[in-house]
Amino acid sequence: MTLIWGGLSLGAIYAIVAIGYNIVFISSKTFNFAHAQLTMVGAFVAYTGLVKWHLPTVLVLVIASAVVAIIAAIEERIAIRPVGDMHNILVTTLGASILLDGAAQLTWGSQPLTVPFFAGDSAITLFGGRAYPVELFLIAIAVLLVVGLGIYSRRSLTGLALLGMAEDREAALLRGVNVRRLAFMAFVAAGALAGFVGLFVGSKTFAVSTLGAALALKGFVVLAIGGFGSMPGTLVGGTLVGLAEAYASRYLGGEYANLAVFLILITILMVRPAGLFVRTKERVV
Amino acid sequence: MANLPLARRLSGGPLWIVPLALGILLILVPHFNLEYSIVRQLQLAMILSLLVSGLNLSLGFAGELALGQVAMYAAGAYTAGMLSQRGHTDILLQLVAAGFAALLVGLVTGIPGLRLGSWSLAMTSFFLVLLLPDVLAIFRDDTGGRNGLSGILSPTLFGKLLSPDDYFMVIAIVTVAWFAVMRNIAVSRHGTALRVLKKSPVLAASMGINVFRMKLLAYALGAVPAGLAGALFASLDLYISPEAFSFSVATTILAASVLGGSASVYGAVFGAFVLQFGLNQSTEFQKYSLVVTGAFLIIGGVLLTGGLTGLARSLWRKAVGEDPAVSASAPADAAAAEDVPAVPGKVLRVEGVAKAFGGNQALKGVDLVASPGRVTALIGPNGSGKTTLLNMICGFYRTDAGVIALDDKQLQRMGPDAVARTGVARTFQTPNIPEGITVREAVMAGRYAGHRATVLEAVLRLPRYRKVRKGDLAEADRVLDLVGIRHLENAEATALPLGQRRLLEVARCLISNPGVLLLDETASGLDEDEVERLAEVIRRVRDAGGTVVLVEHNFQLVLSLADEIVALAHGELMAKGTPEEIQNNERVMSEYLGIDPDAPEAPHVVLADVAPHTPEGAER
Repeated sequence: MTLIWGGLSLGAIYAIVAIGYNIVFISSKTFNFAHAQLTMVGAFVAYTGLVKWHLPTVLVLVIASAVVAIIAAIEERIAIRPVGDMHNILVTTLGASILLDGAAQLTWGSQPLTVPFFAGDSAITLFGGRAYPVELFLIAIAVLLVVGLGIYSRRSLTGLALLGMAEDREAALLRGVNVRRLAFMAFVAAGALAGFVGLFVGSKTFAVSTLGAALALKGFVVLAIGGFGSMPGTLVGGTLVGLAEAYASRYLGGEYANLAVFLILITILMVRPAGLFVRTKERVV
Repeated sequence: MANLPLARRLSGGPLWIVPLALGILLILVPHFNLEYSIVRQLQLAMILSLLVSGLNLSLGFAGELALGQVAMYAAGAYTAGMLSQRGHTDILLQLVAAGFAALLVGLVTGIPGLRLGSWSLAMTSFFLVLLLPDVLAIFRDDTGGRNGLSGILSPTLFGKLLSPDDYFMVIAIVTVAWFAVMRNIAVSRHGTALRVLKKSPVLAASMGINVFRMKLLAYALGAVPAGLAGALFASLDLYISPEAFSFSVATTILAASVLGGSASVYGAVFGAFVLQFGLNQSTEFQKYSLVVTGAFLIIGGVLLTGGLTGLARSLWRKAVGEDPAVSASAPADAAAAEDVPAVPGKVLRVEGVAKAFGGNQALKGVDLVASPGRVTALIGPNGSGKTTLLNMICGFYRTDAGVIALDDKQLQRMGPDAVARTGVARTFQTPNIPEGITVREAVMAGRYAGHRATVLEAVLRLPRYRKVRKGDLAEADRVLDLVGIRHLENAEATALPLGQRRLLEVARCLISNPGVLLLDETASGLDEDEVERLAEVIRRVRDAGGTVVLVEHNFQLVLSLADEIVALAHGELMAKGTPEEIQNNERVMSEYLGIDPDAPEAPHVVLADVAPHTPEGAER
């Protein structure tokens, strides 16, 4: 059970990253390569706030959200908005992710930094397994995000507009939805979310400049399993990836963890390329 | 002649002379007694340019971002290294083995990676790079794991030990040879087909190109130079370790590709040399390399769409002083093609075809027959299902019920590329024309799927390739004459005005000798002259025996051209008959044309685009 808690919390992190991808994908049909790096920056900012400046946790969460939201806003303005071609967005957001990796390395060094967690780091026993408070928090955040975003998108006007936009951009435009502004706001909101969860993610994994790349990939695998745009899919995908990773590294050895995830990705792409929770759409000319 | 600008005179000659001369110069470098550090940088730059060139095939030509070059590079390097360790030191053997190993990696990762749109290849290939250290660690007995693979022996060629100078020449020759191969692919029909694919997979499929296989071809073929580079690298240092294949190498390759221009052949060399000699010089600089590379990719992606070669090309064009669209002189006479060769049309039958999108019944039981030598027009208000029907004939949608057949061949279960190869050719509402190719090349691309020549045949310019190429050229002449844009054959295809782009699309369809020609609102947005020109072309095709299906809003044009008119409304057949009958059909008049038949005098109608009854987006 201890292994399961570990795997689930790891999966929750990936699911949270995938949710970030999804928010951007739903609102603008683009894929922000750098989203995982935004989470990483959130973890670093949390470290600086908590360890260097000794600020209270709530304040650190606010600061991290704000800082990363601003970075996301800048990214949208320089790396996404001016790019005409969809192919190039992949290149520019990858550029942004590499830039953030490099900047993080310059600012915080390449050693892993411990981000302290406010609820302590003594393990508790739950359902016969030992789990750390941060792990339970991560699982809770992932579930709450999916449920919350689900309700939000159906109940609020903005959420409905977002769904409409995802369905048909032009039609939404004709209905008076400011598509560009909404996409921008969604992008910034995804950034703020990444900043907010940075503290939790960092507490579980350490804040380290290679975190971004690992999260980006696993987040993508989660998305591929659940299907692009599917929020509940991220939970299933996260669970699968997290558990696979935990079990593979426990029973086969550390070097098999990524390999196991890669095999899942390949299998999913071969068997059900659109993911488990998305209907295949017919091509439109 | 004498007062022509120099550039212009040069541009007349075969341009491949320049890179070939530079290549020979590179091979002769050992004779120039250069400093060791420069020689080493040159060697690394050549290896890097091989890697970049492989990426260009998939990123620049097929339009798929892949980061897996490094994994293929490593596959090549470890294959060569392990061969050498076991005493197989012949560099030729190593190159061949490394090329195949890399090709294998490319195929195995490309097949799943290409199944799901553009991000999945980027991600699976990215994943591949991060997996490398793990895989090497798992097989540490053979690969040396994180400690690296040592004990690689000096390379030999036909039993003779190679000196460092010899080895330099080997690297240079392999590099030059690959770029010759790459150049031959790029200017061949395969290069054009890849550009079509990059422009639009839908277009590619409608021309009979199997999208998945074409992408896989580009990606897997790009593995070969990476494998060669790996073998060359292994025997250069006689030591390889996972550090040489880190993710930062992948970003360097990508940066070099973007800098040089991904869609060019020799841009890879530019980009690789600039990055090798520029970025990797000072160790102080290493600290900032990630930041710089990242910033560079953003700037490059935003500004330099064509990379440095794109920039150079547009400057060159200015120097040569040719503006392709303008310089072309008007045709002597539009009716230049007096004797049009026969276009063997086939019978298209549509019986009881139905289609629902969710709860929206777009088509219910539509019948239609289009015969050779006749123009069959399909009219109806927006949302009546015209374009849906067209897309079903082309295989882009699956039918819920009914039969679509061309002569005796049923089409309704085929994919779009198979339908196209059976003989269905179409144009698009918005002309779909690939970038960076001439009018002639764009037209010749229409024969790609119907007349095959393999990549190998194209690379080596084997007889079958030459024969197909000759046919391509001759047929292009014929159809360009037929539509009357022969005088524009060397203009850049995307630079043509709308009317001529439409004619280009018609020519691209005709060159494949289609059993049926589907024209999707070809006349919209054209002025009167252009419409007349188009109508003339359609008449010629019909008189030559072609089967033409015309989806059109311009009612006058339909009346003047069509032999039979099929009117749809709400996904059902509203009326069918000769222009005369349709013109006087009450339902057509009220529902489509919006005319009250009882009114004293019906106004002269030019086009009608009325009665949007169906919900928004139903037809798109």
